[in-house]
Amino acid sequence: MALTTASAQVVPEHPGRRSPAARKRRGSGSGRHREGVAGYVFLSPWLLGLMGITAIPMLLSLYLSFTDYSVFSTWEDVEWIGLENYVTMFTNDPSFVRSVLVTLVYALVMVPLKLAAALAVALLLNRAWRGVGLFRGLFYLPSLLGGSVALALVWSALFAGDGAVNEFLSFFGITGKAWVNDPDYALGTLIILGIWQFGAPMVIFLAGLKQVPVELYEAASVDGASPWRQFWHVTMPMLSPVLFFNLVLETIRGFQSFTSAFVISNGNGGPVDSTLLYTLYLYKRGFTEFDMGYASALAWVFLLAIGILTVVLFSTGRFWVHYADGEDR
Amino acid sequence: MTTVARHVAVRRSRFSAGQAVRLIVLIAGLLLVLYPLAWVIGSSFKSDAEIASNISVLPTEFTPSHYTAGWNSFDVSFTRFFINSTVIALLTVVANGVSCLIAAYAFARLRFPARGFFFAIMIGTLLLPGDVLIIPQYIVFNTLGWIDTPLLPLIVPKALATEAFFVFLMVQFMRGIPRDLDEAATIDGCSPYGVFWHVILPLSRPALVTTAIFSFIWTWNDFFTQLVYLNELEDYTVPIALRLFIDSTGQSSLGAMFAMSVLSLVPVFLFFVAFQRMLVEGINTSGLKG
Amino acid sequence: MHPATHPENALSARSHRTPGYGRVLRGLAATAVALPLIFGAAACGNDDGGSSDPNAPVELSVFWWGDDSRAETTKKVLAAYHDAHPNVTFVSTFQGNQGYLDKLSTQAAGGNAPDIFQLDDNMLSELAERKVTLDLTPYVEDKSLDLTKFPESLAKYGVVEEKQAGVALAENTPGLIYNKTKLAELGVAEPATGITWEAFIAWAKDVSTKSGGRLPGTMDPSADYKALWVWLRQQGKEFYNGKELGFTAEDLTAWFELWKGARDSGATPTADVIHEGNSSDASKQLVVTGKAATSWVWSNQLSALSKSTKDQLGLMAYPGDPKGQWARASMYWSGSAKTKHPDVVADVINYFVNDAAAAKTLGIERGITPNLDLRKEVEATLTDVNQKTSLTFETEITPKFGAAPTPPPKGHAAVRTLLVTIAETVQYGKATPAQAAQDFITQAKSKLA
Repeated sequence: MALTTASAQVVPEHPGRRSPAARKRRGSGSGRHREGVAGYVFLSPWLLGLMGITAIPMLLSLYLSFTDYSVFSTWEDVEWIGLENYVTMFTNDPSFVRSVLVTLVYALVMVPLKLAAALAVALLLNRAWRGVGLFRGLFYLPSLLGGSVALALVWSALFAGDGAVNEFLSFFGITGKAWVNDPDYALGTLIILGIWQFGAPMVIFLAGLKQVPVELYEAASVDGASPWRQFWHVTMPMLSPVLFFNLVLETIRGFQSFTSAFVISNGNGGPVDSTLLYTLYLYKRGFTEFDMGYASALAWVFLLAIGILTVVLFSTGRFWVHYADGEDR
Repeated sequence: MTTVARHVAVRRSRFSAGQAVRLIVLIAGLLLVLYPLAWVIGSSFKSDAEIASNISVLPTEFTPSHYTAGWNSFDVSFTRFFINSTVIALLTVVANGVSCLIAAYAFARLRFPARGFFFAIMIGTLLLPGDVLIIPQYIVFNTLGWIDTPLLPLIVPKALATEAFFVFLMVQFMRGIPRDLDEAATIDGCSPYGVFWHVILPLSRPALVTTAIFSFIWTWNDFFTQLVYLNELEDYTVPIALRLFIDSTGQSSLGAMFAMSVLSLVPVFLFFVAFQRMLVEGINTSGLKG
Repeated sequence: MHPATHPENALSARSHRTPGYGRVLRGLAATAVALPLIFGAAACGNDDGGSSDPNAPVELSVFWWGDDSRAETTKKVLAAYHDAHPNVTFVSTFQGNQGYLDKLSTQAAGGNAPDIFQLDDNMLSELAERKVTLDLTPYVEDKSLDLTKFPESLAKYGVVEEKQAGVALAENTPGLIYNKTKLAELGVAEPATGITWEAFIAWAKDVSTKSGGRLPGTMDPSADYKALWVWLRQQGKEFYNGKELGFTAEDLTAWFELWKGARDSGATPTADVIHEGNSSDASKQLVVTGKAATSWVWSNQLSALSKSTKDQLGLMAYPGDPKGQWARASMYWSGSAKTKHPDVVADVINYFVNDAAAAKTLGIERGITPNLDLRKEVEATLTDVNQKTSLTFETEITPKFGAAPTPPPKGHAAVRTLLVTIAETVQYGKATPAQAAQDFITQAKSKLA
């Protein structure tokens, strides 16, 4: 393959700067038209999915958020109530406030720690050596357990008053709390669970590390850069698109966390609402109290809030994410 | 010997103390991380009378019978549930991989009207909590007449790149591919389609492997969607079958549930170990030197 | 948020005045909603012809939650019905109870509810008040669905808004299950039905003391709606009065105080252990995990709980006058209001509850046989000693029952979980009984509105 061998030598020395060829090509009108057509050709399955499968349910849920729709209502009974769901949420719903606070604490503590753990383990498992695959697999195992029933039982057994964690602590003469059953600590056990399942961002980091051209490390080594310097000046910039992806996605997923709290608290968010994550509250309103109109309103408020957060993240990305394609978006 | 291998060899001898530290750190980390799983495995060997009251790792009496009894608990054995889960997961892997790669190429590399708008919409679809979409989606699929053919609602959405997570993932990876490669190909006379086929596709392996791994595992563990669309016991998948062991108002067969949970980890674990191998040899050593 | 009781007409009126945005969305959603209706209507075109011929083929979908043994017996009964009526075939679906309601509601929202489905009293009104369930009253009146052999309160406990919304598949009564083996070891006498609440708490304290605090006498049921309900009835109150709460903040304060006293005296475990027991899971009941001598469960759970422990368990009624109890349905069969074959649905349900062979096949896995005549026949087939105990218990308490209340109204599921959360604030010492009771009343009112 002449093509790829030729281009492999072209390693960008300054990530983030556009090559002259790219600048030149922008001007060409007919190429642009051809590219536009190709763009829609490649986008067509996604567009079809958007129109046919994603958009209608989303808009329907937006509509329902302005109604008193209950899961079992017949459609004729659905009544338009304007902004009432939204007004109630912000003026007269202590559980809503509670769930926002719980979720903020959960996501803001859990996401950075999870990403740090994932990156650390990925760096340790990056280079090829005998048995690395097994290690990767074993570190991924906790995430394989997903949100299963078994997981809920393990967690309550480990973090119960007479559980393994306290047994371990008692070696050091510490008397532990009933972590998972104590309203002051239950959220902490959920945060630990979230960090424990760091497999997904770890794999993405691993894949991203593979994209860093080895030539860059060689060049840095020749210049006598220490591993620490190499990490900050080669690895991090080259990894930044993937780090950015992980940050955005884990933030979104962190705020959307539901399953672990659901299975561990038996769907209730207890003890005393201490693990009432936002989407758990939303689920409770929608599927156990059947207020699907209200749940839809909760969902759209969530979309707005996280949407703003995402926009903020994207705008900070301009300053620290370096794309090899030369476009800073 | 390639430069890379030589480079690695040099490093290995130089940092052997570092290697040892790394190994110790890894093993300590593993012990911490795997303890809860050891507990699940231990519990799968506890008798039903013991399981609720004994919360230590080891069973007081070793009871392997949950594995055989659990496997054949229902009219349909777990063999069937494992096959169903595997089929659905593999189809999802293919559907997600192809459709998201295509969509991601458009977003990452091609300039077309309203690209920014659609990209924002794509990210937007990630943000809405899925719970409120379950019923509207069911209504749409019902309207399309798909309800009686469970594979349609489970697979077709994936083939239409509705998993924005993967589209975004691939976009980010593609943007890590130097654009100069495209330029070179274009100068060589490639159309956007040619660039996709000759440049982007071969270089997207890490992203595709990652997508395959996640698609498989997440589909394997997905309970809710499968629950809504699968009606017959013969069509049930492993996560649905696992919940059949749990009846909070009546008799729960926790031992069998633990045993089958342990077994359900095996295929996903193997799938992961097999596929991550492709992450070991990165694109730099193999993808370009073809 | 029921349209009928909606107070905020001003708000909806205002929204109607706003043109544009709302209307566009409405139109769009209406289109999406109308589509299945149109398709559905087209598919239903030839129903009427079908139901007039008694031998025309009929296919019914049946949906329940439960484990493999329930699936086996239920399918056996369906097969027997099919043998007797070869034109009727069944498509049965069963799953664990996690996600059951989610799937049922999704199907119902899509206009696809199964013809026959299983419910319990926590959700019966929720569906019945929204007209999801088939009104079985005409069949009960002409005795093609015969409930005359049922205890009267049991038949009535399936009536919502004057309509027979569900038929009890089995009867059940709240029961206290205690650890016989441990009590014998400690030398404490077993409690007996009819004991007062105060005497029971004193007894529990005695167990705690004699065990040196290792085995608290009883789980604290203050978060458990069914315990509160029985207690309220014994005070001449009800949990619900129609669609409103049947008790006041003072009543609830007294209930919380009663159990606060019990906790302070050491009759119950500490709040964190109580929280474990507040889970409805059978395997987490404290009598099974060895963290209390008594658990507040259901009379038919003796056999299930016994399998999770090596100790011998005993069964008695909740404290106080058994008159506070009534024949409750552990589960119902309900039909879908949209079924194309209401007559067949009623006949199948009738077969389940009145056919002797069916009753014997079903046993008492869901609860005690509802048909009093068949109860003895079923009793003769039982081999499990714990199941026999459950049945004997039910037979003995049946004549002492009080009148049945109406099933809990729409909103009950929310009120029930609210009680857990609020009661836990008292258990953890985060609120006084009086504060908590006031909070409960305020929030429960909005859940029931």
